[in-house]
Amino acid sequence: MMKYLDHLEEIIITFLIGAATAIIAVAVVHRYLSGLPIPGLQDWLLGINLSWAQELCIYMFVWMAKFGAAYGVRSGIHVGVDVLVTRLPDSWRKTTVIIAIMGGALFTGLIGTLGAKFVWENGLHYALLNKLGMDVTELFEGPITPDLEWPTWIVYSAVPLGSYLMCFRFLQVGWAFLHTGELPHHDHTHVDGIEEIPAMDSTQALEEYEVHKFNGKDGGAK
Amino acid sequence: MSSAVAGWEQFSKKKAATWLAGIAVVLGLIATLGSTGIVFALLLALMLTGMPISIALGLTVLTFLFFFSEVPTEAVAMKLFTGIEKFEIMAIPFFILAGNFLTHGGVAKRMIKFATSMVGHWHGGLALAGVMACALFAAVSGSSPATVVAIGSVMLPAMVRAGFPKRFGAGVITTSGSLGILIPPSIPMVIYCVATNSSVGAMFMGGVIPGLMLATLLGLVSWWKAKKANYPRMQKATWGERFKAFRESIWGLLLIVIVLGGIYSGLFTPTEAAAMSAVYAFIIAVFVYRDVPFKKIPKVLLDSASMSAMLLYIITNAVLFSFLMTHEQIPQLMADWILAHNLGVVSFLLVTNVLLLLAGNVMEPSSIILILAPILFPVAMQLGIDPIHFGVLITVNMEVGMCHPPVGLNLYVASGITKMGISELTVAVWPWLMAMLGFMLLVTYVPSISLWLPKALGY
Amino acid sequence: APAPIVIKFSHVVAQHTPKGQAADYFKKLAEERTKGRVKVEVYPNSQLYKDKEEMEALQLGAVQMLAPSLAKFAPLGVKEFEVFDLPFIFDNYQELHKVTQGPVGAKLLKKLEPKGILGLAYWDNGFKVMSANKPLKAVSDFRGQKMRIQSSKVLDSQMRAVGAMPQVLAFSEVYQALQTGVVNGTENPPSNLYTQKMHEVQKYVTLSDHGYLGYAVIVNKKFWQGLPADVRTILEGCMKDATKYANDIAKKDNEEALAAVKKSGRSQLISLTPQERAAWKKAMDKAHKDNMGRIGADIVKEVYAATGYNPS
Ligand code: NA
Ligand code: NA
Repeated sequence: MMKYLDHLEEIIITFLIGAATAIIAVAVVHRYLSGLPIPGLQDWLLGINLSWAQELCIYMFVWMAKFGAAYGVRSGIHVGVDVLVTRLPDSWRKTTVIIAIMGGALFTGLIGTLGAKFVWENGLHYALLNKLGMDVTELFEGPITPDLEWPTWIVYSAVPLGSYLMCFRFLQVGWAFLHTGELPHHDHTHVDGIEEIPAMDSTQALEEYEVHKFNGKDGGAK
Repeated sequence: MSSAVAGWEQFSKKKAATWLAGIAVVLGLIATLGSTGIVFALLLALMLTGMPISIALGLTVLTFLFFFSEVPTEAVAMKLFTGIEKFEIMAIPFFILAGNFLTHGGVAKRMIKFATSMVGHWHGGLALAGVMACALFAAVSGSSPATVVAIGSVMLPAMVRAGFPKRFGAGVITTSGSLGILIPPSIPMVIYCVATNSSVGAMFMGGVIPGLMLATLLGLVSWWKAKKANYPRMQKATWGERFKAFRESIWGLLLIVIVLGGIYSGLFTPTEAAAMSAVYAFIIAVFVYRDVPFKKIPKVLLDSASMSAMLLYIITNAVLFSFLMTHEQIPQLMADWILAHNLGVVSFLLVTNVLLLLAGNVMEPSSIILILAPILFPVAMQLGIDPIHFGVLITVNMEVGMCHPPVGLNLYVASGITKMGISELTVAVWPWLMAMLGFMLLVTYVPSISLWLPKALGY
Repeated sequence: APAPIVIKFSHVVAQHTPKGQAADYFKKLAEERTKGRVKVEVYPNSQLYKDKEEMEALQLGAVQMLAPSLAKFAPLGVKEFEVFDLPFIFDNYQELHKVTQGPVGAKLLKKLEPKGILGLAYWDNGFKVMSANKPLKAVSDFRGQKMRIQSSKVLDSQMRAVGAMPQVLAFSEVYQALQTGVVNGTENPPSNLYTQKMHEVQKYVTLSDHGYLGYAVIVNKKFWQGLPADVRTILEGCMKDATKYANDIAKKDNEEALAAVKKSGRSQLISLTPQERAAWKKAMDKAHKDNMGRIGADIVKEVYAATGYNPS
């Protein structure tokens, strides 16, 4: 069950960043080609309306940000000020860490609830009652987005959904910390993209550099 | 959350208790200063627990609004969405993605080889290449964090690999990345011009010379530090080797041409350029160099999304905090104080700098400029200060603010790339930050640095 | 004395703009005439709430008064307001004020009430000019031109009607986009063109007056109806005077901006002959036809009746 949730979270944010990039690239190419006076092609391209692309990209990234932030709790990517807490005696450090995690759960839980309330009043309540054929005279129909004309309560629901997920992740991390004393965190001595190379001192680096200089194992296109 | 930094001693219980009591007293004193004091005491207390900075900012805002104001708290939830609902901000994920494809795709390795072959034999050669790359990149990007990401994710692994301490590399890139808003184009400069009705063209030109000077200065600091610490220098490469390295890195170097050429020929905006460079980097990594196999693509996307999300989460909460500041009228109170004291040019500029630096501690640049520029600008005009000069000094000030905690986006970005803690990183940027502060004073009191070029071009 | 009633008036432009000045003028009148029973706090420059947030903030009661551009009401679900975006629907201020200060304008404001919003007045920004890096005189000059617009379905179809390609851009990217040629031109009232420095990066400005840009001053309905009746009456009087003030300075500001653009010598002003203008009007009438169903034929016809719109 938990594995499916983890996968879903990862698939959502992976898809969002990839698709948003592709959409903007297509819109740019389309705009460029539309400006070229090529008979036939220009008319066809001018007939295609991609003016929603920027708006969709923004919403995809906001959703990515909210769900990615939850994933970030699980993977320990959120940065904090560690100057005090790392110097505290072990048992005190544990308490402080728990307080910090609870702070995260509290904030995201509150924001999730406030966000849910906002989404509800911003059109979900109306949409729901309207769908059920009930009386909606006392309620506002929510606004829509300018370009795509989607109900804003749908796009804003990234806040409650993402925040509740993030809250759940904080609780999960807190639970694991209480039981194992372990926190998820990135390896702080590791730099992205060079994982295959073992740590070495400067002398070794220089030697390796000499050996492989410009004709080494990773020179030239493969 | 937090991690141990090598070499830091752990306190005994007695010492820890003394420290905690001391901190509690200081925070208590701050809290007695009224609502502003409570805000900052709360923020500091939360941050010291080691919780994510984004959470500490958000929790402070929520607590304060709930107990001390009548703002409907749903507005906070709305701000968490709308705070990043801006197309310009989208350049950050795009550049992170491009950077990751370049790093994983072997483009970075080849570019670094080229840079090294050119200047690697100098003291701090790779660092100098990094500063140069940041300055080049600043000419295509209007944002500092994006510059840190784009250059940092390529340069930092290279520097570590060549034997430079991570701190050194992080310090260079974090500060050089701030050139992004000084060398045109610059998003904060546009905001300044709109808020004060100044000329964007003149403002952009005003940033060129200070930008080049600051790049030189940061390069000098790197050279001096590298020389003093005797960091590794490479053997001087022959011209043949240099040409070979150039040819092998051509696909990566072309990216600069594509981004620069695309923006200045009007193919795309800087934000769109970020997206295009991500697509380009993807094609190069997957189809040209083939260093990234198909099954690794989702992992690169996921890592990029995760880092972007962390940054966007901090930005939303920083926007939230700016909202609290505005709501409590804290910047206005500070500005009123300045206006009430009838200062001369010299002291007005000094106080302006201090005020902006203080604001830079806790707010992001766009909000600071939008709030403070319209208040300070009329006074500056009365004192006969040139609007472009004033804008450049504000921009340099914003650069400094982006490189130090608690709210410093460059720092967060660099922390994401290097996986270094914020405290360690703060120590790392210190020498360059001092140089930037000195440079800020120079720009503040020597207007011709900012004004020479715009005047020469007839603005 | 009891604590004053606080009206938070938030807007998204600088203090020195006509709207900013009018907001400050309303504050001054309101505080004087209610003898301090009302305190108006003006927040310019999107300080508290940004363009995309302020409407929801008003509905939540986080602010009490706004002056958003009329284009903001369509996303709120009152598409009838898009009638103001229709090209050439008003030929001059006289025709415009027949609508904004007459029964049709009042009827439109009424449509905001189910959203919890009361409309108090219309404030002008002005009529738009068309700028580009080539002279835009004949309709065929628009073909393939990339034109920056504010996000709006009507403006989108207005540009498509003349063969141009509309492009929505983030505000902070517009200046550079015009400079490098990502977009070739744009449309603005002269005062916006000048304060946003776009004349620096546009070679030609066609004085077409083809469209209108305006604001509505709106308040939170619950808040406004909860005011003591005498205070409300005084404030309504203040709003009436502030509206006259707003419209007068907007007009003057546009005239001064055009003079300043001309004096700067950075872009050349182009006037249209009556025939050329008629050709634009005829071509852009497609935007009326295409959006009639969206906006509501009734309201469009009512505006036509008030202004005597005739494209042919
Ligand atoms: Na720049
Ligand atoms: Na800072």
